[in-house]
Order: sequence, then structure tokens, then C-alpha cells
Amino acid sequence: MLKLNNLTKSYGRIKAVNNINLEVRPGEIFGFLGPNGAGKTTTIKMIVGLLKPDEGMITLAGIDIWQEPLKAKSMISYVPDNPAVYDKLKGIEFLNFIADMYGISKEERLRKIDYFSKLFNIEHALENLISSYSHGMKQKLVLTSALINDPKLFILDEPMVGLDPKSSFNLKEIMRQMCDEGKIVFFSTHVMEVAERLCDRIAIINKGQIVTVGTMEELRSSAKDEETLEKIFLELTEDE
Amino acid sequence: MNKLLALVKVDFKNTYGFNSLIQSLKNRRNIWIALVIVLAILSLIPSYFMLVMGLVNLADAFFQIGQGSYFLQMGIFGSQALVFALGIFYVLSKYYFASDLNQLVPLPIKPSYIIGSKFITLMFSEYLTSFPVLLPFIIIYGLKASKGVAYWVYSLIVILTMPIIPLVLASLLVMVFMKYTNLGDKKDLIRIISSIFFIVFIIWLQLTIQQLAMKSIELGDALFLNLAKDSLYLVKRLGIVFPPSMWATLALANTNVSGLLYLVLFLGISFVSIGLMIYLAERIFFDGLIGNIEVVAKERKARDLTRSVAVMKPYLAIAKKELLMLVKTPVYLLNSIGGVIIVPIILVMPILMGDESMDTITSLISDYPHFVNLITIGIIVVLAMVNSIGPTTFSREGKNLWIQRVLPIRARDQVLGRVLSSLAVQLLGILVLISAIYIINRIKAADILIITSLGLVGSIPMTQLGMVVDIARPMLDWDNPQRAMKQNFNVLVALGLGALFMMGLFFLVKNLIYKIDLIYIYLILFTIFITLAIILQGILEKMVERQFMELE
Repeated sequence: MLKLNNLTKSYGRIKAVNNINLEVRPGEIFGFLGPNGAGKTTTIKMIVGLLKPDEGMITLAGIDIWQEPLKAKSMISYVPDNPAVYDKLKGIEFLNFIADMYGISKEERLRKIDYFSKLFNIEHALENLISSYSHGMKQKLVLTSALINDPKLFILDEPMVGLDPKSSFNLKEIMRQMCDEGKIVFFSTHVMEVAERLCDRIAIINKGQIVTVGTMEELRSSAKDEETLEKIFLELTEDE
Repeated sequence: MNKLLALVKVDFKNTYGFNSLIQSLKNRRNIWIALVIVLAILSLIPSYFMLVMGLVNLADAFFQIGQGSYFLQMGIFGSQALVFALGIFYVLSKYYFASDLNQLVPLPIKPSYIIGSKFITLMFSEYLTSFPVLLPFIIIYGLKASKGVAYWVYSLIVILTMPIIPLVLASLLVMVFMKYTNLGDKKDLIRIISSIFFIVFIIWLQLTIQQLAMKSIELGDALFLNLAKDSLYLVKRLGIVFPPSMWATLALANTNVSGLLYLVLFLGISFVSIGLMIYLAERIFFDGLIGNIEVVAKERKARDLTRSVAVMKPYLAIAKKELLMLVKTPVYLLNSIGGVIIVPIILVMPILMGDESMDTITSLISDYPHFVNLITIGIIVVLAMVNSIGPTTFSREGKNLWIQRVLPIRARDQVLGRVLSSLAVQLLGILVLISAIYIINRIKAADILIITSLGLVGSIPMTQLGMVVDIARPMLDWDNPQRAMKQNFNVLVALGLGALFMMGLFFLVKNLIYKIDLIYIYLILFTIFITLAIILQGILEKMVERQFMELE
């Protein structure tokens, strides 16, 4: 279980995330929606240990992420929206480095690297410098690196941006499969159709606060008419 | 002209990051860190003061033999040489490897505008290094010779325009060099190897010219006669090596009509040289540049994965990653690894070239072998400071630091891995240094062992000291690796702290050397190094843990 309790983060006077509470259960694909600047990335960065919350607590499987960071991080894999990676390393060197940090055995990493690099169609590029990769290839390399470590929490910021249709399809399949294995998949997106079709539950954040959270059905039933997610989203996030 | 001004403005903001500096100073915690940095810089002042006092004595000596202006020329020539040497590195990375080139090249701007704007920013970077060198010479000379207003006005002009000629020379050399080494996918390697040869060649050339200049000074009675006859005798002799240094000196030494003429000559040649650079930029700049920015993916056969996958302990994997990044990024390679190779070569070359003034050193080496051990250990520990690996280790991560922060890496492994990478580079420096000493005078295996082990152990706290400075305020927001290495304030702060540490060691050894047996001095040094290493390791672990959480 991933729990966010009274999470708050401010930049100067602006509250980027304002006292949010969320619970994500194992086996759930959780979609995190919101307009630009709503606080999605800030929240995600606090979960993965890149931004320290001003107040509140985040726990994963009962472990406080900010009290026991090493324990928590070994259960988390994170894919940022625009991943910067070591340009001067070869793809395979980068994957090896990540696997070393998670302490993954040779057999296991061989199996994972082989499987995911073929799935994302980057196996031919692993011996090349990352600086020669296109944006999409870098994204796929980071995805592969994030999947080497069989994570309990797979957290992605705008994962579909920059991916070709086939890789995007494969990623969705992987997310579904992880969820079937009882893991948590938490991702932010702007693409309503993806969220609508893929997510078990959805939260919409606006101006740092969660404005709604629930399954697609729950969101629909609380809306005025039987609406699409897009309409619900626009309704909830429009400026008063 | 408007375009040029706009380019200069953007480049200034980009290079010196005033906006982000002001932004970060709004945060209270950063103000505190800024204060610590100011204090650390202040710690450089005692060493600087000692150097300046030494210069005052030197000036006295030259004034006594009636050659005071030679003292002035040494300062001008020294800062010109410094500007030129640093200029080569600056120009290389700013003209050819800066990431803003990706945006600039497709725009409808002439190559000369790009070069021109970058040249102006570089001038300011060079001021930062040339002022501390040149100013003491100008001020000491001006005061000792009781110069009038004209001298100070001329000085101001010379100080401001001094970097032009050496920087133009560096630009021309680099532009020609890049045009003719733009050779396919091995160009990085070709360039790095040729730059090392190039630097050694420049030093050789410099030494040869210097020897020629020395030989042209007649010895014996003729020398004294000449010294007495012409108060500018030495100035004119050194002028053979690099005439602009002589013009600037003559402009300042006599602020009458002839001085004015020399000033006009100095300025004239400076501006003509800029014109030449602009002319050449239009013709060859893009030839060396295009093909630099993009990296060509080679059609490689996917290797058998079992051969490319290897398991490593986290700290070793971090050390390996650090070394790979150092070797594969030209700016890092030249500054860190190049530094530890070139510095020992520079130290030994004059001796190998049979410079007579070095005879004393050669005889010293054979007469007092233990001095050699101690001095060599000292040089190695200084190299750990010069290689800049410690004070840039976190800064070099730049935008990639998120990777390290989200991974479950123990602080101990972070610190250990990074120290190991510095030690690996140090080992290379030690190898070069010992080989060089071996060529001059065969040293014993036992001495090699002592030098290597104490040098390596001493390099640990020196690297850690740099790391402490870097983790306190890593410079992560850069788009050109040059900024993480050469324009990183942390390097300067670490140099200051390292210099204090070395001074402490020097005085300790100086006091002990005739009182106790050499073996005890080694033991004392070893104990100091190890104790400091353990203390700093503890401090670093705490700081890394905290900063990896706190950084935003």
C-alpha cells in the first residue's frame, strides 16, 4: 500500500501541493491527472525521494519513505517525464550500473535486459553511446532500467510522451501485468483516453489539491451526466 | 551589431548564471552556504599574501640592478602565458563543445558573430584569472618607481586589453586544429591525443625560446656593461620570446612619447589580431564544428549479452561509471587525467632539456634522496587537488543526479566509489611522475613503494576535502561540461582549503626533518592522512545523506 498523508510542499509562498491524502492499493493502476502546474510532478518527486515534503508522510508497505529511504528506494522504480541520462555511457553500461545499484544477480539481469530491450526494440543499440539515441530511445532505455528491478511501486511521469505506438502498447501491457502480480503502478498523464482505459482508479489534482479520486464509474456517477473523463476533467479543473 | 549584443547578453547570462544566483540567494539556507564559500575564499588570502610579499622582494632585487621594468614584464608575460594556456581549454569547449551551439548554428547568424560573442564572454572569464596575477606586479612596480597618473591610466588600458592577443592566439590555434582533426568517429580520441602532444610541444617550444633568449644575454663583463647602459636590457631580451609583452612593458615603463607609441602599437596589434580571428572564423569555424555536435550511431552487431553483462559491488560500479564519464568527456579528460599526466611532464622537461638552472635540482636529487621522496609525495597530494575530481564529483552529475538520488545507494558506497575513481587517476599520475624521476635519477624500489603508498593515501583526504566542498553546494545546473569542471567555484574553494592543508604539512615536516628519523616522518604523515580520511569519510557520509534528501 502506498499512503500519502497530509502531504504539503511550498515554493516560497506558492503551495505546489497542499495537504493531499491518497491511498493506492497493491494490484492497482493509479492514474494521476491534472492540468500543467497542478502539482503532479511535485507529488511524484516527493514519493521517489527527489523533493522533501514540508509536511506530511509517505509510506510504502508500511515503510516511511523519508525515514528509511534505502529500504523504500529498493522497492521503487521511477521513470521521469524527460529523463536525463549519462550521455557518455553505452546503453548496456547504463543498465549494468543500475542493476549493480539494486544488487541484481547476473542471471536475473541478463534475463530482464534481454526481454525488455527486445520488447522496446533497443537491443541493437545497447552497445552504442546514449548520446546517439533519439528522445524515444532514451525513454525506452530508462523504462528498461526501471524494470530490471522488479519494483513493488512503478512510478511514471507522463510515460507515453515520446513513445512510438508499439512501445506505448507494450508499456501498457507491462503495467497491466505488474498490477496482476500485486504491484502498484502510479502514473501521471495528460492523455485522457489512456487513463480512462487503463486505470483502476484515478485522482485529479488541481492547484495542489486533490479534487476527486475514484474509479471511472465513481467519477461518472458523481458527475452531472454520464460523461467522458475529458469532460469531467475539464469541469473539475476549470477556473472559478 | 544588435545581433552581436544580443548574443553577448544571452551568453553572459548563460555562462555566469546571474539570474539563478540571485534566485538561489533568496533562499536563506543558500545565503548561509554562500557565507561559508566566502570564508573559504578568504582562506586563500594568507597564501596569496605570502606570494605577494615574495614579489616585493623580487622587485627590490631587480630595481637594485637597475632593471625594475623587467619585473613588470615578468608579470605581464606571466599573465599572458596563463591566459593563453587556459584560453586553449576555454576556447575548445566554448567554441566547439558548448550545447548552445545546437541552437545557434541553425539561426541566421554569421560564424563571426558566434565567435565574437563567445570571445567577449571569454575575455571576462580570463580577467578572473589574470587580475590576481597581473595586479600585484602593476601595483608594486608603480609604487616602487613612484609613477604618476599617466602610468595608472596606461596600466588600466593594458590590464583590460592584455588578454586579447593570447586569447586570439589560442582561438586561432584551436580553430585550425579543429578544422584539420574533424575526422570521422574517432575524432575525439585523435583530438585528445594530439592535444596532449600539442601541449608538450608548446612547453618544449617555450623552453627552447627561453634558452635562446638566455643565451642572447652576453655573460661576463659585457652583461654588467649592458645592464648599466640600458635599463631596459632584460626587457628587450625577454621580448624576443613574446614581443607583445615587451610593448606593454615599454608603454608602462616610460609614459612619455615613446611609451605612448608602444601603447598604440600594443593596442593596434591587439585589434588587428581580433580582425584576423573574425576573418578566419568566417572561413573555417563551421568546418571544424559541423559533425561535432551530433554523435553518429554505429551499426554494431548486438553483442552477446552474457559478455557485456557483469556484476559489480555498488562502490566499484560507481567508480567505474565515474572513470568512464571522465575518459569519455573530452573536457574532463583533459582537465583531470590530462592534468596529472601533463604536470609531471612540465616539471621534468626543463631538466631533461638540459636547462642549466636545473642542475642544482639534479644534484639535489642524487645528494638527498629522502628530500625527493617527501617532495614527490607532496606533488602527488597536490595532484589530487589539481585533478579536480573531488570538488566536481557531484557537480559533474548535473541533470543526471536524479539517477543517483532515486537509487538505493548507501552514502558509504557513494563516497567510496568516487574516492576510488580519483585514486585510479592518481595512480596514473604517480606512474608518470615516478617514470620521469627515474629517467633523471634512478630511484630505488623501496622509495617507489614509499612514494606510491604515501602518495595514494595522502590523495584520499585531499579528494574528500574537495568532495565536502562540492556536496555542500553542487553546481548542477549546467549545459556545458566545461562549467562543471573549469568554471566551478567549488574547485577554487577546494584549492584554497587544500593549499592551507599543504602549508600545514610543509611546516610540520620542515620542523621535524632534522629532529627525527625519516621513517618516523613517514609514519606521522601516514597517520595524519589516514585519520583525516576516516574523519572526512564520516562527515561526507552524513552530508551526502542529508544533501541527497534536501536538494531541490
